[in-house]
Amino acid sequence: MTDSSTNHVLVVLPVAIPWVLAAVLALLNGRRRWIGLLAAAGLGTCFASLVWLATSVLREGTVTTIAGGWTEGAGILLRADALGVIFALVSVAVILIALLYEISLGVRWRLFPALLLLITAGLNGLFLAGDAFNFYVFFEIAMTASFILTGYREEDHQMRAAFIFAVVNLLGSVIFLAGIAALYTITGSLDMTVITARAQLLDPGGVIIIGAAIFAAFCLKLGLFPFHFWLPAVYVGSHAAVAAILSGALANIGSYGLLRFGAGILPRELKLGSGAVLILGTMSIVYGALQAVSRRNTSEVLAYSAIGQVGYVILALGIGGPVGYTAAILYSVVNALNKGVLFLAAGLRGPLVSVAFAIGAFSVAGVPPAAGFLGKLAVFKAGIAADTLAVSLALVALIFLGGALSFLYSFQIYQRRFMASNDKVEPSPLAARIVVTGLATLLLIVGIFPEPLVLFSETAAGVLTGARP
Amino acid sequence: MILLAALVVSIVFAAGTYLLLQRDLTRVVVGIILISNSSVLFIIASGLMQGGAPIYPLASGRPDVASDPLVQAMALTALVIGFGVAALLLAMIYRLYAAYGNVDAEEIAVAEMREAEALDQLDESPEIEEIPAEEQDADPDERATTVKPLRTR
Repeated sequence: MTDSSTNHVLVVLPVAIPWVLAAVLALLNGRRRWIGLLAAAGLGTCFASLVWLATSVLREGTVTTIAGGWTEGAGILLRADALGVIFALVSVAVILIALLYEISLGVRWRLFPALLLLITAGLNGLFLAGDAFNFYVFFEIAMTASFILTGYREEDHQMRAAFIFAVVNLLGSVIFLAGIAALYTITGSLDMTVITARAQLLDPGGVIIIGAAIFAAFCLKLGLFPFHFWLPAVYVGSHAAVAAILSGALANIGSYGLLRFGAGILPRELKLGSGAVLILGTMSIVYGALQAVSRRNTSEVLAYSAIGQVGYVILALGIGGPVGYTAAILYSVVNALNKGVLFLAAGLRGPLVSVAFAIGAFSVAGVPPAAGFLGKLAVFKAGIAADTLAVSLALVALIFLGGALSFLYSFQIYQRRFMASNDKVEPSPLAARIVVTGLATLLLIVGIFPEPLVLFSETAAGVLTGARP
Repeated sequence: MILLAALVVSIVFAAGTYLLLQRDLTRVVVGIILISNSSVLFIIASGLMQGGAPIYPLASGRPDVASDPLVQAMALTALVIGFGVAALLLAMIYRLYAAYGNVDAEEIAVAEMREAEALDQLDESPEIEEIPAEEQDADPDERATTVKPLRTR
């Protein structure tokens, strides 16, 4: 067992590296290439520290430390378990690739690299938080930086979309904060493990209202069906890198929050509400897929596709149990990578790009050997494992229908953008195309060698069901 | 006391929600400020107890009659976050005002739709966002107030 000082460094490093580097880079001109590359190197170091943390977590179980060296029960708990680490790894990977993409196309703002680093610091902080209010603070750090990021557009038209994004997400944050305060009121503690233990002793009738509020807040963040209205307005017209970060990194907050607060802290309430969760997931899949098929603008189709894809995660969450949680985690990870490839490739032109986009499209549709097949397979397995035969049949039919529709709209985009011969349009910079192709290759590799990711997801799900410490 | 706190929280939240649905964007920001402050009140309400200041040495000598310091810390943090976010929203509104000349949500939406339609008449490459020639033929009354985008980078 590693000693406590190594633990402390392990858990704090992924948050500290991007934070300090962001503070330094915010004073410099981020438009210059070497500063962008310095930020990318910082993100790479952060990713390496997360890999180190991951090896420690997978070998020895959850790594915990108390910030500031306080005694247990008095200090803020930082906790790195497989669930937090897997989400942190995929989020940092997507942000790093989006940064490299934007550097190769030319950064337009001085603050852009520092912003991405701040988002990374906020995301890592919340994935590694063991204290509910600390989670909220890092959540706000990441969200505030992302409000500024959605304003990253060439002209000031579409600034209104950034404003809408900010207002709607702030509403979600306030509801979440009210939920945390209510959890504190009824359990008397902010430590997640203590809340879990004490919430089980209380009457579910009261706790389920809090669960519903927290569920609503995270669904707003994810863009699930009844709370999706802000998504298309924000994604249309935004830069490819920003859209990739919004859907590939920031949406993970929603998935992680639902898994941690729903399945981890309030599992009994999640079970009580599983019917509603399944219905919402179903509506989201159907609505997202149908809207995506009927749209013409690439960004709009991808935005509605994002709404549909998170429906699968919610579906798996509603089914519950180790199979369901594994499917939810696996699908979230694969979806983040998919959306990264699709949004980034949709913004480019040139020979390699169509291949990358096709791989991303296959992945969204769930066709092997792309990684999306893993996600769909896991959700199928979870659907079959549902309680009653009728529900299982309905879910499997629904997942198949969603997959077919996603195949349809992905290749509609491909046909519109890449098949029509456009000789007069020059290809985009080679570096950007290589970056996107690299991410698509990663999707292929994960699809061909799925064991590491599946094992990681199962370990992470085991954290939620209590199989592993 | 708890009933009073609940009433106040709900009234402030309701006022904030009403403002959030207004046309004028400054009122929307005030609505957000009210809503985030209502959640701060909610946090404080979870620590409603009569007690001494939670600072050593304790006045009464018994730790269980001191006020809850954690609630006060949470409220302060939430207030600071709300303040930062309100400043950001006001900066966004100023940027919108500089671009469109007013802060009315409907008029800005109409202006944006007009610009988006004009852009759609270009070639199908939405990433190349230049002001097309068609836009200069638009109605001069509306166009006069829509200034060139702000170049304060």
